[in-house]
Amino acid sequence: MPRLLLPLLTLTIAALAAMVLSVSYGSVPVPVADILAVLQGQGSELQRTLIMDLRLPRTLSAFATGGLLAVAGALMQVLLRNPLADPYVLGLSGGAAVGALTMMLLGLGGLFISSAAFAGALLATLLVFGLAHGMGSWTPSRLLLTGVVVAAGWGALITLMLALAPAQRLPGMLYWLMGDLSYARTPAPALLVLLLTCLLVIPLGRSLNVLARGPMQAAALGVSVQPLEWTVYVMASLLTAVAVTTAGSIGFVGLVVPHMLRLVLGNDQRLILPACALAGGTLLVLADTLARTLIAPEQLPVGVITALLGVPTFLYLLSRSR
Amino acid sequence: MRPMLLVLVVMLVPAMAQASQRCAVDDTGREVCLAAPAQRIATLSPGATELTWAAGAGEQVVAIVAYSDYPPQAQQATSVGSHTRIDLERLMSLAPDLVVAWVTGNPAEQVETLRSLGLPVFSIEPREFEDVASVIERLAYLAGTEVPGNAEANRFRTGMAALADEYAHRDPVRVFYQVWNEPLMTINDQHLIGKVVTLCGGDNVFGELPRLVPRIDREVVIAANPEAILAGGMGEENRHWLTYWQQFPGLLATRQDNLFFIPPSLIQRPTPRMLEGTRLFCEKLDRARARR
Amino acid sequence: MAGLILQQLVIDVPGRASGTPLDIHVQPGQVWGVLGPNGAGKTTLLHTMAGLRPARSGQVVLADQPLAGWRRKALAKQLGLVFQERQDGFPATVLETVLIGRHPYLSPWQMETAQDLTVAREALQALDVAHLEERLVSTLSGGERQRVAIATLLTQAPAIWLADEPTNHLDLHHQVAVMQLLTQQAAAGRAIFMCLHDLNLAARWCDHILLLYPNGDACWGPAARMLVPAALERLYDQPLVTVEVEGAPFFVPRK
Repeated sequence: MPRLLLPLLTLTIAALAAMVLSVSYGSVPVPVADILAVLQGQGSELQRTLIMDLRLPRTLSAFATGGLLAVAGALMQVLLRNPLADPYVLGLSGGAAVGALTMMLLGLGGLFISSAAFAGALLATLLVFGLAHGMGSWTPSRLLLTGVVVAAGWGALITLMLALAPAQRLPGMLYWLMGDLSYARTPAPALLVLLLTCLLVIPLGRSLNVLARGPMQAAALGVSVQPLEWTVYVMASLLTAVAVTTAGSIGFVGLVVPHMLRLVLGNDQRLILPACALAGGTLLVLADTLARTLIAPEQLPVGVITALLGVPTFLYLLSRSR
Repeated sequence: MRPMLLVLVVMLVPAMAQASQRCAVDDTGREVCLAAPAQRIATLSPGATELTWAAGAGEQVVAIVAYSDYPPQAQQATSVGSHTRIDLERLMSLAPDLVVAWVTGNPAEQVETLRSLGLPVFSIEPREFEDVASVIERLAYLAGTEVPGNAEANRFRTGMAALADEYAHRDPVRVFYQVWNEPLMTINDQHLIGKVVTLCGGDNVFGELPRLVPRIDREVVIAANPEAILAGGMGEENRHWLTYWQQFPGLLATRQDNLFFIPPSLIQRPTPRMLEGTRLFCEKLDRARARR
Repeated sequence: MAGLILQQLVIDVPGRASGTPLDIHVQPGQVWGVLGPNGAGKTTLLHTMAGLRPARSGQVVLADQPLAGWRRKALAKQLGLVFQERQDGFPATVLETVLIGRHPYLSPWQMETAQDLTVAREALQALDVAHLEERLVSTLSGGERQRVAIATLLTQAPAIWLADEPTNHLDLHHQVAVMQLLTQQAAAGRAIFMCLHDLNLAARWCDHILLLYPNGDACWGPAARMLVPAALERLYDQPLVTVEVEGAPFFVPRK
């Protein structure tokens, strides 16, 4: 038990520290004493607006999005028994992007973009799963191949839409594709989904450990393989859809966070999945803080920062591991 | 007569009760009301900045975005990012009492956030010459600078009308207007620049295309064989866009030497400077007519 | 009825005639060896007997219930399988791998208990791989991996053991150790059913033999009756010389 608790406790502390940092830093300096005052319901009106209306919701959205993406990535990797799998490779984000960009082309905003992104991600999921199922039973390699090809199709559609888009809509579309937490408004739905996921995924953890050894072996050890695979796939798709709906398409988190954790913590899904929620959230909170403040008042796309932070960290861990 | 008077009184009572309140309808149809004339204005696009200065409220502008470069003294205000991505924190910290947003240029979510934080947001999107004048008048009203604002709006309105009177009915010149080089882009008749072409008595060879800013192939330009080519672009250093066309002596525009540069800042922003740009445009087309 | 019962079972080998339906009762205490040349369907038979693959016809019955009616988790407590091919997609240590054998006994929310850990460590001890506990399985030799796989089944502790070439990759000493372990398990009341390549290991350790022919024919019975040179020569299409060592037949291919 302490084997699981110690890393999770460490990651929780890191996550809280990242959130405190994110709430403390912005393009407008607010002294720590004033932040504490605001959190106690005092402070000036401007400071309340900055902290409670802008920074805190954005920080929580970043945390939820990062956590969702990392958990979805970890689930996909176990499902496909392929370390390169992530929700983006399977074309989920492509479907979401096509949905969102369509709404932007039509000049619709806000809720329309979110719902279309969500619908697009689910459509992509059904498409890939349906096609991979095809005539016979699906295998991980068939699912992966179908996903990659469908993703390429989405990619082409996205390029087409960008080419046909009126010039004044282009920046918004590009920023959406790069991922942008300034679009995130209420963090509650994403946080709720993340919490539910963690509760759901922990009891599945040991079954997933067994599934990682192949479906036959898992079945022989008492795992009902097909229902489990369906559950995992649908779950990963929903998580991605919610994440993409919250913050646009942010790549890289789903691929790299689970691997970083595996290099350090081993491959027990009961540990890795909640750890992904915490570490993915932490990474995105830090990245978004930098994106907001690095060259303020200009704002950077958060996806750039996640990659710039994640790539060296990942390579360092990889070179150190066996 | 009596009932009429009564109606008038009934209508005037609420108006008098809110005598100090100023309301204007923005380009999305929303009514924006201020309790007092705006003293701290945030302008979220270069065009919005320029129009607010044109409305005589330049001194009240406290927040601008990247490329808000006209008039030059506008740049003394604090920048709050770019029009595609606004630093909301910095904007809020400037405590604006009016935000002038750009309907199709600013992210809808960020503008929505500003509204939800209780800021009055006036969204603009001028699509006609008259819209430019009208936006200036409405901004001047909200800022309490009606005198200089209305004067500027009228100068623009009458200036454009005078140009139309002078040039619109002259012999048509077939025109290709080049917005950008790579990819090659032009405008159709619905675009504000397209309307400049028409006002100057020009005939936009791509005016019928369905998209506002179509991307086109060089071949179709050569096939359309315009009598004059006018180019804008970014900055003033792009004469090579025009020299490119000189390698096609078969082009009427090249043969007649009707390759003209129009400073983009004078014509690509829907602001009163368009009057100057339009005058220049009309003069170029007239020069093309003279070379026939 | 205890044990595993094959009723009119025809395994599904694509493109092959159905051949002889199998009617076999694998009883507790018995050690069965399946012999047959490559492609005779030995692995397919084991997978079918474990309910991992549908039969073409007939059924496999465990405790009066066809396998299809069993929940996988309940079945895993009764019946386990050592696979010939194993994939380790993600790195895992030897101890983690063996502990997986406790999966059918734990509820979703439960962590492995100290007792599960003890069972796993004893299994590692029994298979002589306790010293590898913290090693990654992917860094082990073929023989060590094979022993880890058998230790996993020992940890799973089912009543019926199916094993696909359990002596693969093993040196002579460990081959004998594994066969001894399997016969001990049988003596303790478990039913053992394994595929073997090595005729002589079968002759020495199995009490029942199933001969699987490539065309789907089959015959089975007590080892003494099945291990006759004529049948084996037909099975492998290879002339044999038989000698007797310590009271058991020993088969050597004729040059």
